[in-house]
Amino acid sequence: MSTGWFSAPAPVTQRVRAFFAPVNRKLQAPVIFDPCKQGGFILDTPPAPWIDLGWIQNFSRSATSKIASVNSGVPAIVLEQVRESTEGNVNFEFLSWTKLTMALATGSQHMNLLSTAQTASASADGGQATTAISMLGGSTASSILLTPSDAAQFSAGSIIAVDTDYTGQTGFVGTPISGAYLRQPLTDIDYIRRVTFNVAIVSQVTQNGISLAEPLPGGTPTSNAKVQQVAGFVDRLGGYFCHEWSALFVMEGSQGERIFFHYPRLQSMADAEEAPIPLSGKGSSKRVVLKSQFRALPVVDPLDAERVLCYRSFLPATYALV
Amino acid sequence: MQNAKDSFYMTLRSRLTAINPQRTIMLRGAVRPGILVEEAEAAFSQPPADVFVLRWAGLVTDMELDTAMACTECEITYQTCGSQSFGGLDRGRMLSAMDQELVELLQPFHAPKMCYTATPPSQMLTQVFWDEPIFGPIAEQRDMLSRSARVIVYSYLEQEK
Repeated sequence: MSTGWFSAPAPVTQRVRAFFAPVNRKLQAPVIFDPCKQGGFILDTPPAPWIDLGWIQNFSRSATSKIASVNSGVPAIVLEQVRESTEGNVNFEFLSWTKLTMALATGSQHMNLLSTAQTASASADGGQATTAISMLGGSTASSILLTPSDAAQFSAGSIIAVDTDYTGQTGFVGTPISGAYLRQPLTDIDYIRRVTFNVAIVSQVTQNGISLAEPLPGGTPTSNAKVQQVAGFVDRLGGYFCHEWSALFVMEGSQGERIFFHYPRLQSMADAEEAPIPLSGKGSSKRVVLKSQFRALPVVDPLDAERVLCYRSFLPATYALV
Repeated sequence: MQNAKDSFYMTLRSRLTAINPQRTIMLRGAVRPGILVEEAEAAFSQPPADVFVLRWAGLVTDMELDTAMACTECEITYQTCGSQSFGGLDRGRMLSAMDQELVELLQPFHAPKMCYTATPPSQMLTQVFWDEPIFGPIAEQRDMLSRSARVIVYSYLEQEK
């Protein structure tokens, strides 16, 4: 290789990749991304617990912080500046509809449409569900062990939700990802499975249970978790629950450099909204993308106790002058 | 700029070998991967079928940057008559296969820039990168189907050997 250095112009990127990780709401613990240790990760295989949400479009972030001047004298002249407020927003569009992207792009609870019993009365967000199936010991995030008769109730392509029964608790529910906040007890034993993020698609059914195409986002389910079939997803315009996630946005430059935008705490700040985008200038087909708007919330940086909304990191290209 | 053009071609050539090693061409007595640069071969009246032919076209430079950048347009053409065993009735399928191959050849949209003036080639400081291809319509000439795709290839004009 020839030796030397080059003066790198501004990064050239084509796309932005989004990764999210659940904030532990009970402990108020966000997930921290370390660009020094983890910055070289392969985009298709992010470090745990980050979840790849694919490429996004129209990514924009805006700092709406206010900086005011302190004036003095006649005529007044600026003596110094003070920061009055710190606020930051992030806007973008998801290019796919999944459990996670839909949930992130809505401002309230996002629910799984549990398969309903034959006798269930009609309900806008899922009526009385079929009885949940208990797992056998030894199940993992990718393989749910069941009795042969229970396994026969599923088929390849089925969507399942895996979580515990609801037993009257209040506060944040869903482990390890909180899917809702309950102010008062409910009577629905399936409520946690309605809001859980532990959903996956069945890739194979065997005598011993079911294999999943992708591991459950929450990892290995607890021993008392149960399985229910899911028909789809539903969210509502209304409600008060705000999802909170740690977010990481990556821009990869043409020379191998990387820009990271790490928001330890992001909350959705808008109700569900879609945007139809024409596929070409000729036809009438439109792609319906999920519009997302988030507000950044602060964390206290242990380095110097400053309150911080976002970390922007830059890993330069090899041999680029800095 | 020549290093960028060479690097782009060699990248596509090595990727083609991995994606479809059966796509080859007998050229100047040697069997090579089925991709060539028009300006680096003897002139031919009719482009060979079932191979990718790269033709370098427009050039734009941006000299205002700290390191100047060159944007070169590459037209990649390919054509097929189908296979003899099917009497050419599979020419549409074979053109579609080449469409798909080209999409795969171009990803990822960057590669190390190499200097091929010496053996072994040496890696330079920057990378060559390019946009997504813009495909043209299918052209039909008797029993021959052909298509061309345009790709803008970018490179920084570091000190080249």
